[in-house]
Amino acid sequence: MSWLLAVPIAIPFATAVFAFLLRNGAAGRWVSVAGSAALLAASAVLMQAVLAEGVVAGQMGSWPAPFGITLVADLLSAVMVVITAIIALAVSVYALADIGPAEERLGYHALFQVLIAGVTGAFLTGDLFNLYVWFEVMLISSFGLLVLGGRAEQIDGGVKYVALNLVSTILFLTGIGLLYGMTGTLNMADLSIAVDGADQGLLTVVAMLFMIAFGVKAAVFPLFFWLPAAYHTPAFSVSAVFAGLLTKVGVYALIRMFTLVFDHDTGLTHTILLWVACLTMVTGVLGAAAQGDMRRILSFHIVSQIGYMVLGLALLTPLAIVGAVFYLVHHIIVKANLFLIAGVADRLTGGTALSRIGGLYASAPLLAALFLVPAFSLAGFPPLSGFWAKFLLVKAALEIEGWVIAAVALAVGLLTIYSMTKIWAQAFWEPHPEGREPRLSDLPAGQRWAMLAPIMALAALTVFIGLFPEPFVAFAERAAAQLLDPTDYVETVLGDRG
Amino acid sequence: MSHEGYLLLFIAVLPFVGALVPGVMIRAGRTACASFAAVPTALAFILLLMLAPSVMRGEVIQAELEWLPQLGLSASFFLDGLGLLFAGMILGVGLLIILYARFYLSHEDPVGQFYTYLLLFQGAMLGIVLSDNILLLLIFWELTSLSSFLLIGYWKHLPEGRQGARMALAVTGAGGLAMIGGMLILGSIAGSYNLTDILEQGDAIRASDWYMPALILILLGAFTKSAQFPFHFWLPHAMAAPTPVSAYLHSATMVKAGVFLLARMWPVLSGTDAWFYIVATTGLVTMVLGALIALFKDDLKALLAFSTVSHLGLLTMLLGFGTQAAAVAAVFHIINHLTFKAALFMTAGIVDHETHTRDIKRLGGLRHLMPVTFVIGTVAALSMAGIPLFNGFLSKEMMLEEASHTYWAGSAYAVPVMATIGALLSVAYSLRFISHVFLGPQRDDYPHKPHDPPFGMWASPGLLIVLVLLIGVAPFVADGIVATAASAVTGAELHPHLKIWHGVTPALWMSVAAVAGGVVLLSAHAPLDRLWAAAPRPEAKAIFHRLVAAVVGFSRWFTEVTHNGAISRYLAIFTLASVLVGWMAYRGSGLPLPTRGLLPVPPVIAVGWILLIAATAYVVVVHHNRFQSLVLIGIIGLMISAGFVYLSAPDLALTQISVETVTIMLLLLALNFMPQMTPKESSMGRKLRDAIIAVAAGGSVGALAYAFMLRDVETISDYHLANSYEGGGGTNVVNVILVDFRGYDTYGEIIVLGIAGFVIYALMRALLDGPAARRLRTLEFGYNISKDRHPLMMVVVTRVLMPIAVVVGIYIFLRGHNQPGGGFVAGLVIAIALLMQYMASGFFWTQARKKIEYHTLIGIGVVIAGLTGAGAWLYARPFLTSSYTYVHWPPIEEFELATAMLFDLGVFLTVLGAVMLMLYSLSRIARYAGETVNVEPMDYDPGERAEEKVEA
Repeated sequence: MSWLLAVPIAIPFATAVFAFLLRNGAAGRWVSVAGSAALLAASAVLMQAVLAEGVVAGQMGSWPAPFGITLVADLLSAVMVVITAIIALAVSVYALADIGPAEERLGYHALFQVLIAGVTGAFLTGDLFNLYVWFEVMLISSFGLLVLGGRAEQIDGGVKYVALNLVSTILFLTGIGLLYGMTGTLNMADLSIAVDGADQGLLTVVAMLFMIAFGVKAAVFPLFFWLPAAYHTPAFSVSAVFAGLLTKVGVYALIRMFTLVFDHDTGLTHTILLWVACLTMVTGVLGAAAQGDMRRILSFHIVSQIGYMVLGLALLTPLAIVGAVFYLVHHIIVKANLFLIAGVADRLTGGTALSRIGGLYASAPLLAALFLVPAFSLAGFPPLSGFWAKFLLVKAALEIEGWVIAAVALAVGLLTIYSMTKIWAQAFWEPHPEGREPRLSDLPAGQRWAMLAPIMALAALTVFIGLFPEPFVAFAERAAAQLLDPTDYVETVLGDRG
Repeated sequence: MSHEGYLLLFIAVLPFVGALVPGVMIRAGRTACASFAAVPTALAFILLLMLAPSVMRGEVIQAELEWLPQLGLSASFFLDGLGLLFAGMILGVGLLIILYARFYLSHEDPVGQFYTYLLLFQGAMLGIVLSDNILLLLIFWELTSLSSFLLIGYWKHLPEGRQGARMALAVTGAGGLAMIGGMLILGSIAGSYNLTDILEQGDAIRASDWYMPALILILLGAFTKSAQFPFHFWLPHAMAAPTPVSAYLHSATMVKAGVFLLARMWPVLSGTDAWFYIVATTGLVTMVLGALIALFKDDLKALLAFSTVSHLGLLTMLLGFGTQAAAVAAVFHIINHLTFKAALFMTAGIVDHETHTRDIKRLGGLRHLMPVTFVIGTVAALSMAGIPLFNGFLSKEMMLEEASHTYWAGSAYAVPVMATIGALLSVAYSLRFISHVFLGPQRDDYPHKPHDPPFGMWASPGLLIVLVLLIGVAPFVADGIVATAASAVTGAELHPHLKIWHGVTPALWMSVAAVAGGVVLLSAHAPLDRLWAAAPRPEAKAIFHRLVAAVVGFSRWFTEVTHNGAISRYLAIFTLASVLVGWMAYRGSGLPLPTRGLLPVPPVIAVGWILLIAATAYVVVVHHNRFQSLVLIGIIGLMISAGFVYLSAPDLALTQISVETVTIMLLLLALNFMPQMTPKESSMGRKLRDAIIAVAAGGSVGALAYAFMLRDVETISDYHLANSYEGGGGTNVVNVILVDFRGYDTYGEIIVLGIAGFVIYALMRALLDGPAARRLRTLEFGYNISKDRHPLMMVVVTRVLMPIAVVVGIYIFLRGHNQPGGGFVAGLVIAIALLMQYMASGFFWTQARKKIEYHTLIGIGVVIAGLTGAGAWLYARPFLTSSYTYVHWPPIEEFELATAMLFDLGVFLTVLGAVMLMLYSLSRIARYAGETVNVEPMDYDPGERAEEKVEA
């Protein structure tokens, strides 16, 4: 079974090697597309297995857990890998049109695939130090992607990005060291048992280190500064994959650690998370309201939306976790798509600063229609995926009579509507200030479809989840049940010892 | 599900299916688009009429599909009297609007989109009135906000249209969000989201503790949608929409959704004091205020908009009274308002279309130029004024009748007086609509010479005023539908008899007073208008915009304060946050007691420790001088290596020392291109702040480490010690952990290293292509460069060292599995040997002698390591499962071959390649900055001199 788990990591690595070797020609980009497609197939097989058999685990190097490194997939991991593969495929197709030969020669596709490998690795690992390694893989490759164009603002954003993330990584490493010092193990399943015997007070202190370290990755309040500083600078493909996936790894790690290992003092840890969640929602959406550039607005909305996911974790009721899982999946699709659309808008109108663009509704109605889907899904309008996501969380908050929390979640939704309609009114409705009539048909047919096909596919997915939420909610319920009762997870990883 | 149930589902779905068609017919004409919009609407209308008889008999038709059972949401619909009334209005008026819009819109307008939005909106409205599940209702509710947003902003080139659309969405969207909360609470009180179930639990719900929050939140939704004071301001601004949209949204549909909701929830929520005071008062205030503002509006559509606000207030008030008779009046007025208001909007549209203005001050005397329009407009306006024989009169009388015996806070006069004033104002603005537009002298300064529109355009309002007159003269024709709908609202069997003459009642006198007062008011309109214009009054739109601007301003301030772009501030916040949460956790528990004592501190170690601390502290002091800092960092690294040696970790020490060497060498090279000193950026105050934060953070980490190191712990490392040789084939446990137990980590890390090499290379390339290149070109090295850059002594020494270093490297690599060493260290050692060649003879001399691309080296390394791992799959073992064997090749002694060594080879190659690629990148920059290329191994070659001498 272990190959099921190793393959989703190995495929992007192998793709990266080939893409790198072929970086000087057109073949490299098609290798990237093929690799992403293969990853999607592999992740589907993994998902199938997890659905059929429950948690799947594999011991790398055949060393029994907890002595070697364990890869493990429960439903949450599996769905995250699937969604990663979907985004990877969408973005690598989009990159056919978005990424120029200069960036390709510098190894764009290889860096992209390594990033994807890092993301899937982080979702699949069952070992805390191994998670750190995947964080490193993601950090270095994302830094490379971020500065690939070499423009001054990219370097500036990139340095802030890497500096703040490195500091958080140090904290993560310190946390790992201390946790090992307390429990003598790194295997997450083993940890979940071992922490019971540890000094609970110290454990809470260590939990805080992890909360901060993952909080930086997830871009929660007040640790999100690196994100708006960097995300608007690189190529749109890069923005899209960052927006969709990177912060979600942080959220995933928070969910994993704070359901599996650090659930001993939820009165403190999850109360802090609750505050963090609400403040993240609010500050993110306020930041967005202050922006006048499409990509900057969208970047701040990532922060705001992260708050919702953390909220699900913080409430820690079954329904709230269902909401968090559903939100993760919904958000990745929608957010990546919005950045892809921003890329097309940029190509057609010559920018993303809202005051300098416009006229897309009249001349590119297809793009306008495609924008409406993720934009209003993000704002939580029915019958799109975002509505269910918000609805689940608001319902969860009301169930525990968290009036203020529910009110914050709803009010943030209102400001999200404000931002989305701002983009809509200025980039789409308002005529272009220079009188340009940006048309999709101005793009060469090949490029046009390379950009539109992924956007259409992701939009269709958003609508599909919106119209047929039942299987997705049912899935999220199963995933949440596994998270809240990790018996299957622990037993599968540790075998007889569990 | 019954046969009729399926029909009902079909009705609900039809508009959405129909919406798909016109949108894609981009090039089809107006008639084609209109026809394709009309077909599904007409079909749905006919189906509805087919279902009508059973509903009139008192049956409720139900249909249910599972949708999201986990949340209690099902796609269930039901058709009762209230639903039938509203669905009929939505579809019937929809048809008329489709026809009217065909003639109203011009060639340039994207007509297909218009009809798509219209049908989407129609479907959403239909969904609201047919939903049998409050969550489903909520979904359709939000959909009406969305589709009306698109309709209101349809003329996207008009700034008012865009603003109006966003304002409408903001206000109704906010209400919708409140309603989500309200409905969730309501559902949890009732234990079901099924409307039919909820409607049966009125008493339980009213008695619940959560009744008030649910009521307020749901009312927020209804009031925003129905433009009740103080949320009324969005409606007039939505008038920037094309007139067919206004006619549809503001007569039969959008704004009536709020009223519908009040009616729907009437059996559950009404009957309490809270309901009466909130709903009836809001309605009353809205009615009077809307009518007052309408009187002074010069824009025809604005006048109608505020009159709509006023009439919605009237309906809200009636429902707020909470009596059955008031509910009957409300239902009847819903029908009447629809007929005359839709006709009036269309009339206004016709006037605008023909004269090219909607400004009442520029109109007048149109009765002879547009006789048909005049008749239609007059009939409808008289009905709005509540003149007998028009349908508006009947329901207004019923309203006044109800108002006349309603007590408000103990007062018998408050409501009747206010209602009369509202009716009076209504008479005034209605008559103004007639007299200032159609009557008076004919003018010769209309922006466009008007005449009656084609039949297609006045057919719709024409049909509506026929209804106005029919109901006005023979009200009993509406008996059936009013009875059915009112019974559905109240949940009681009602059989009202609508008639023109109720005898001499208080209501009649109130009516008379209203009409007389209205006429007087209108005759004094001109001076009153001047008074109105001079009077200060709050402008709702301005307040709204100030509110939005305040939120945005606050956001901007907040964002600028926190995101000033300075990385030091970000780090300070990060560190503070970490210390804060750490302290919160510590405060709750405190640190545990130590379980073992401190180790003794020998003097040598104390010296090393002091050196470490001193060097670290000194870096803080001299960090402006980059070179000195680097030297100090070297000392720190060395002391850490020494610490590893002392703590019996030779492998770590070896690795640490090689990493230190390579890092310092590369950093030294990089320093070449940077200023010698960093600029001074921090003020004294900030330094103090940062110092406090740093000491707090450092102290916390120190305390934590102290606490941990004084505790005993059982770890998994015993297993590693026990299994290193048995399972991994090596006695050096550290190396076996690296390449076997945790080889997967190492695999990830060598990829990180390799990528780091690439990224540095890519950055260098990007830099040299960018503006930084220019700065490099003109870079002046601020110090003297040695004349003898490649001295003989150094060249010779490095050449001699080269084979030694390579042998050492290979040795370290080979013994790594059993003794301290391994691929990582070996790669660094050989990299150092090569680095020295580059330093001695210059990069390009050395470069010319290398046989393999560094990129490739990294690639090969990663592939070897990867394939070694994947090789295990061939034996059906997990990734990286290792294997070893002993080989005996005479004359060599028996030795061990482990697959882990192959993996280590991959590590070795990657490390070597990455370091060399970094060096290569640095030297490219140097080249660019003007460093000359040497073709000879050294600048001064004594051998050459000797040869020359010989030749001479």
